Amino acid sequence: MADLPSDLVVAGVAPAADEAAVAKAGGWWRGRLGVTVPAVMVAFIFLLCFVWPIIGPVPPPTGGNILNASLPAFSPGHFLGTDPVGNDEWSRLLYGGRASLEIALAVQAIGLVLGGLIGAVAAYLGGWRDATIMRILDVFIAFPGLVLAVAIAQGLGPSELHTIWALSFFSVPASARISRAATLRLREQTFITAARLSGTSFPRMLLGHIAPNILPQLLTYALLGMGIIMILEGALSFVGLGVPPPAPSWGNMIAQGQSTLSADPRYVFLPSAALFITVVSFNLLGEGLRARWGNQ
Amino acid sequence: MSESLLEISDLRVDFRQDRRLVRAVDGLTYSMRRGQTVAVIGESGSGKTVSARAIMGLLPPTATVTGSIRFDDVEMVGLPEKAMRKHRGCGVAMVFQDPTRSLNPTMRVGAQIREAIQTHEKASRGAAQDRALELLELVRLPAARERLEQYPHQLSGGMRQRVMIAIALAASPKLLIADEATTALDVTTQAQIMELLRDLQQRLGMGLIMISHDLGLAASFADEVVVMYAGRAVERAPTRMLFAHVRMPYTRALLDAIPRLQNVSHAPLAAVPGQPPNLALREPGCPFTPRCPSATDQCREHAPALEEHEPEHLWACWHPCEDGVRA
Amino acid sequence: MSSASAPLSSPLAARAGRAGRRAGSPTLQFIIRRLLAAIPVLFGVTFLSFVVMNSLPGDAAQELLGAQATPAEIHQLEKTLGLDKPFLTRYWDWLHEAVIGHLGHSLSSGQSVGSILASDLPVTFELVGLAFLFSLALAVPIALASARKPNGVADRLSMMFSMAGLSVAPYVLALLLVYVFAVKLNVLPAIGWVPPGQSLSQNIRYLILPAVSIGLGLLCFYTRLLRADLLEQMQSEDYVVTARAKGVRPWRVLSRHALRNSLFGLITVVALNLGTLLGFTVVIEDIFGIPGIGHELLQAIDNRDIPVIEGIVFVFAVIVVLLNLAADVLYSVLDPRIRYGRPTE
Repeated sequence: MADLPSDLVVAGVAPAADEAAVAKAGGWWRGRLGVTVPAVMVAFIFLLCFVWPIIGPVPPPTGGNILNASLPAFSPGHFLGTDPVGNDEWSRLLYGGRASLEIALAVQAIGLVLGGLIGAVAAYLGGWRDATIMRILDVFIAFPGLVLAVAIAQGLGPSELHTIWALSFFSVPASARISRAATLRLREQTFITAARLSGTSFPRMLLGHIAPNILPQLLTYALLGMGIIMILEGALSFVGLGVPPPAPSWGNMIAQGQSTLSADPRYVFLPSAALFITVVSFNLLGEGLRARWGNQ
Repeated sequence: MSESLLEISDLRVDFRQDRRLVRAVDGLTYSMRRGQTVAVIGESGSGKTVSARAIMGLLPPTATVTGSIRFDDVEMVGLPEKAMRKHRGCGVAMVFQDPTRSLNPTMRVGAQIREAIQTHEKASRGAAQDRALELLELVRLPAARERLEQYPHQLSGGMRQRVMIAIALAASPKLLIADEATTALDVTTQAQIMELLRDLQQRLGMGLIMISHDLGLAASFADEVVVMYAGRAVERAPTRMLFAHVRMPYTRALLDAIPRLQNVSHAPLAAVPGQPPNLALREPGCPFTPRCPSATDQCREHAPALEEHEPEHLWACWHPCEDGVRA
Repeated sequence: MSSASAPLSSPLAARAGRAGRRAGSPTLQFIIRRLLAAIPVLFGVTFLSFVVMNSLPGDAAQELLGAQATPAEIHQLEKTLGLDKPFLTRYWDWLHEAVIGHLGHSLSSGQSVGSILASDLPVTFELVGLAFLFSLALAVPIALASARKPNGVADRLSMMFSMAGLSVAPYVLALLLVYVFAVKLNVLPAIGWVPPGQSLSQNIRYLILPAVSIGLGLLCFYTRLLRADLLEQMQSEDYVVTARAKGVRPWRVLSRHALRNSLFGLITVVALNLGTLLGFTVVIEDIFGIPGIGHELLQAIDNRDIPVIEGIVFVFAVIVVLLNLAADVLYSVLDPRIRYGRPTE
């Protein structure tokens, strides 16, 4: 249905509809809005979370003084206040963002490379090899993702690294499907046959011919998936996994803030707002790119 | 009530495409009377389908229509959408080329016909169903009663086309446009459908516009032929006259391209050389010039106008063919 | 479709096809093919869950006997429980039992896992069902309104809101709703559950917030999907032109012709989403204290209650595969092209 490969549906991402037409209809301004604005936002978020804590006056996110607990916003030295154990909330927000973004980036990178490879190889080889690989991936996709992630992270204990492994079980099959579909389409084209006939070796085929052509699409979907992964990381934190406190991640901040929701909702809503803005930016960027590059 | 059913004058249709204006129809003029059959012949890109859609107002929003289309004394160009809807199906109806894609696959045949009926008249479901049955029998669909409850994919191509015709006739239109209606069918079915159309037309007194690339078809079924090229009418005459005295080199070439039994076997088929012109790049002069064996500088510089050079025979050419001489 | 990636030309499928043809109906053919394709996936899924369960650290026998147990006692119990047998044998035995419904007993409560599931599953189903109902009931009219005038006011607004809705994490939404409706406005309860047998109205009342938390994301997703498909139908399908040529009003063309065809596609999509959906249900049940499968799973993980965990994961996995199958079958039953098969001459 529509232009949506089922793989993306699994990831819960929605279609762009006729965004290209929309962009054309709105003219130059709409086109800019499509990619430039979200790209700037994403860049800004990254700068804030990764660069600013290093160069700016940001106190450490942990090891706060209990005497400073639960200070309100705009207190001297803590413009967003402090958490119930005295850590600076603004700092927690920034470092938490860094953790969440790191995880999402790693997961999507693994998905892109590993999943992309698996899908492309499967599509290129075809036949029973393709079928077997796809069956195995089907199993992973059919398996309720979060449960798998919970079990794995539970088995290995909560940590940033284990969260990345757990979430990769989700991103790799999704990416593999897209990669496979894209490679299949590519295979139809004559230049592939030409390269094959001229005896191009398999790795060169993959790197030189296939990869450059499917990369734009893979990248776009990787971007679109960033939001889901970040949300999933948060969900893991809720079930006692994800990044272990006291190190902050937006996910565990939201989960921890639940207990003080009625008393002081900002502990939930500050990281929630940050997460929301980030996810929206990635979604807009992904959709904008997809409209720009067309659905190949 | 005048005899004239349809009068098209100087019809122009432009499409907005990536900031460019592509002129698909460039000053088309012809008319027809009630009960007449007109064949509009041309290659793909000649503007024949676009002009037909313009009569029904079925063009996409990127199209701009200027000129005049008078149907039954009503000016169609610029008619507001609401009024246009009343004419569709009821005044003018259309049969499309590909009945497989043109019928809704998830709706039963009967329901699709009923919809055509109930859009224009108040009828109960039962009454509409009866009428649908009548229509299917009119188009000679075997086992009509069963077909009503079936889905389009359960019918063969020829049967689907009959259903399309039934749908088109549902609201008793005065003009029926058959847009390449038989192109997707095999030859035998083609003949059957054409016979059916002719028969229906005579019985119901409808006007019939046949759009095709097939001159042979026109020869058998049309009263008058309009030959289109690059969005213009380039020759127009009653059928007999056209075939007896072909004037336009283009028409000549089309005629010559029809494979004949009398030709020497294994002789190369005479195709019309070259390609249809790119409508986005309009040159002054006659559009057929690059492919015309009789082209001169005059042709390149000044486009000939469609004029009645002989009684009832119009053409637009500086160097028309002589009788009996092949181009 | 979920299993569309498998080549259906394998010998097994061909035999299935022949069996189906003998059975007559093309739908049956289709169902049989899909069923057969689902079986290896089912095996794979159950195997995977077994692997995962067994990689959880913490010896089951050790857990049962406590920290004071001697290695000899542990070894003895392992033999009794059959835990010393080779991996594959254990998997096979376990699968046998599981399929019949003998899923063991909870280590913490002693209750049979089967009965735990029986009481928890309906709760989760009700929650998810309500969420679906909510999302589909709203998605259709919103998508129709959007597709009616693409880039019109309704369209732009709905696309903006749906983009926002998609970007909100369900648990964030849940907490937001709780804060607004339970804490500040105090009109809806934050936590808890009332069985429908006791009071249907209360039952619904407790489920509103959780269902909306899950349902909003779904709503946004389905709206976009439906709108995209509707637009594609309206712009590029020939039967739409025929309908217009009949003089049918544009609204009717949209709702009677395009919608029908678009809804089919939606069915498959609904099924594909299931895995992620179940995952979020776990979190939502936790936040709202709904005694469903998700809640049970979390408790079991906390308690290291292996049999319960295994049972739940098994059931989850099977349900997802079966629902995907059901969606495929539903699609085939509804799509008249498959239902009525080849044309008759």
